[in-house]
Amino acid sequence: MTGELPVLLGLLLVAAAGTGAVLVRDPVRQSFVLSLLGLSLAALFLLLQAPDVALSQLAVGSALTPLMVLLSVRKVRRKARSERREERE
Amino acid sequence: MNGWTAAGTALLLCGFAPAACGVATGRASRRVPAQNVATTLLSLVFLLLAQGFARPAYVDTALVLSVLGPAGTLLFVRLLADQLADHPPGERRLRALTVGNYVAVAAVVLPLSAAAGPGRAMVKLLIIGVLLALGSWVATRAVHAAAAMGHGRGAPAEGMSGDR
Repeated sequence: MTGELPVLLGLLLVAAAGTGAVLVRDPVRQSFVLSLLGLSLAALFLLLQAPDVALSQLAVGSALTPLMVLLSVRKVRRKARSERREERE
Repeated sequence: MNGWTAAGTALLLCGFAPAACGVATGRASRRVPAQNVATTLLSLVFLLLAQGFARPAYVDTALVLSVLGPAGTLLFVRLLADQLADHPPGERRLRALTVGNYVAVAAVVLPLSAAAGPGRAMVKLLIIGVLLALGSWVATRAVHAAAAMGHGRGAPAEGMSGDR
């Protein structure tokens, strides 16, 4: 039983981070939780003896996903701001 | 389960999980430093697990995370600069987190390199330790710079204006 404790902990972390990512509604905050989910998934993959999968998950989860989300949020906000300015003029 | 795996699990539970709570709650000024702490601690967990499973190849994941973790923090700092400038994080808390990072890295990497014995594995572990400490330092400097920009307001955070 004690041998399975780390895997159990990894599963719990992934479950908590996944639930959090669904429950958070603000995209900026969600990007933080998504990066957390990526990190927990990488830990789980390593605990399940799959280091290659963990490596790719790290690359995608810790930097790329938040970058995509934050860039899209910034683009959408900028567009909305300029549209508002045009309406006023 | 040997001592190294137990230590890794304990660090995951008592170090990474609280840091993860910090990342998931609060303002950006709390989330960004917590994200840096979380990646550093997870990298240390990977190192401990690699030793625990007796698979030196697993150290590569820690090496990748020691580079990508600070990169992720810098990304958050860059894209959330205006939020960090509005509510800058406490100077003292930021310094305490950085020192805590250094202590954690030293407390994990030094015993691991002692266990590895002199050789290539030890050099790799030490390089990862230095990378982790450097990453923590760089991330703290970036957060400081973003917060300082808020004190000397006037121009909005760079990149947020100018092209329209």
